[in-house]
Amino acid sequence: MKFRAVMIDTGPMREFSNIVTTISKLSKECVLRLSTDQIYFIVSDDNSGPTPPILWCEIPQSMFFSEYQLIGVDDEHKDIYLGFISANLARPLVTLKSAKTLKMKLTKKQCPCLTLEIEMPSSTSPQTRHVTHDIPAIVVPRKIWSDFQEPQVPKPDISIELPPLKQLRTSIDRMRTMASDVVIRASAEGRLTLQIKTDMAKVSTRYKGLRVDTFEGPIEHSDSETESQINEDLSRVCVCRVDAKKLSMFLSADQISHNRIICSIVHKRLVILCLQTDENVKLQCFITGIVY
Amino acid sequence: MESGKTLCSLLKAIQFQECAVFCAMPEGLKLTVEEGKCVQASAYIPADNFTEYHVRDEVDVMFKISIAVLAECLNIFGSGEESSLKMYYRCEGSPLLLVLQPQSVHNVMTDCEISTQTADSLLDLRDEDAEEVAKLILKAPAFLGLLVDLERSCDVLELNLSPEHPNVSIVTYGMQDRSCIDVPKSSDMVQSFSCEEPITLKYQLHHIRLIMKALALSTKVVLRFSSNGLLLLQLKLEKEDQKQMFSEFYIVPLLDD
Repeated sequence: MKFRAVMIDTGPMREFSNIVTTISKLSKECVLRLSTDQIYFIVSDDNSGPTPPILWCEIPQSMFFSEYQLIGVDDEHKDIYLGFISANLARPLVTLKSAKTLKMKLTKKQCPCLTLEIEMPSSTSPQTRHVTHDIPAIVVPRKIWSDFQEPQVPKPDISIELPPLKQLRTSIDRMRTMASDVVIRASAEGRLTLQIKTDMAKVSTRYKGLRVDTFEGPIEHSDSETESQINEDLSRVCVCRVDAKKLSMFLSADQISHNRIICSIVHKRLVILCLQTDENVKLQCFITGIVY
Repeated sequence: MESGKTLCSLLKAIQFQECAVFCAMPEGLKLTVEEGKCVQASAYIPADNFTEYHVRDEVDVMFKISIAVLAECLNIFGSGEESSLKMYYRCEGSPLLLVLQPQSVHNVMTDCEISTQTADSLLDLRDEDAEEVAKLILKAPAFLGLLVDLERSCDVLELNLSPEHPNVSIVTYGMQDRSCIDVPKSSDMVQSFSCEEPITLKYQLHHIRLIMKALALSTKVVLRFSSNGLLLLQLKLEKEDQKQMFSEFYIVPLLDD
């Protein structure tokens, strides 16, 4: 197995640092999958064994790296899967924001390591400093690779563009202090409602005029949980109740400069938040619905 | 109301209990919080702070509400955002409705229904027979600085007021020490001082500390001492426009052992 990659442009380096920082906020551990065209960050649910990933991030290597060499175990298994403590990876990469170059390679020290060689400019002299970080990694054995496949999700009932994340997150964070779960409601008319209900209060934040990408309605509402609203055709409204904390965590991804964020909902079952950047990085987060 | 921001910070300043009594009068809104039977804090929002304000005169609009929830709702778009606010309340038992709309973004609004409860009776700490024996007007930031400097571990704060120099002295007793701050009436922070007879009063320092958040928002504080020792603090809120908001604290004194 061999891996070596070099990054020399400041833009992508900053971007890469932001992505890894965001991932470290969302998870304790993550898996880095290296393949010929893409690198992936994959996060599984911390406390529930082998489940489909809850976070899936794909980064096209050619947009970020000027050099990229990868040799897998054999021809059948060209990829390399490495497990990390997310924070270990994020902390050294923070310095990338002011770095000149980054070299990454897979090394064998006491344990397998991902070695980062960061070249930092010096503020006082034209010479540069070289900082080397060895980040211990676990090489994920081939037999459990299947745990880290892209999640197969049912076709969403609706995909709607989200308003600016920061704005959304402020509201969710206020709601989070009052209730543990939030009901997301999206309509084919481009309305998005976030609602909490407790004994003390019922708070709904409503957005309108959002772009709807796809709508696969009509939606069947067969129970009492969805309250009817005046002037709204229920068959065109999709609902899912999710954990407020998880939602808020994903929304902290706003520091990655993105061009659009789509929220897809499988009625009452799943919310998929997907962030895309200009460099074709795709970060997806899967939040399963809570059903009472 | 054009912006709910000041209201929200005013509420947070008196948020030392879960619930407040919300009272709407023709002159304006009043929210009151009590700590034990010893401190009563109120926030006043005179009607002219609202662009529109109606109260039906034949009904008493008075109910209990969670002040934490109310503050969170007012702050739903974050503290950096000025948002316009509408408030509605129908009758006893119905929720308080809020509609908030941020000024910079137009495609979003929040509506809140906050459940209300029947109000408990509030303490009437004012005693008509007790006359005012001393009055002090101070600059709020300076007074706050003074309170911050007081030793945290002390329980009791002693206030000595007298017409003679040093006019005001604040004494705290700690485990090993006694510290004293003198404020003569010539001091910059004193805007007005009136006191006929020397008096000594003791208060729970913990109670005095409750006003600190409100002090941080205010420009001016009036301290009124009545002959039964009750301390009334009236604070004027700092605001950009000409409209005023107030908070008021009644603090019951400690009796000598």
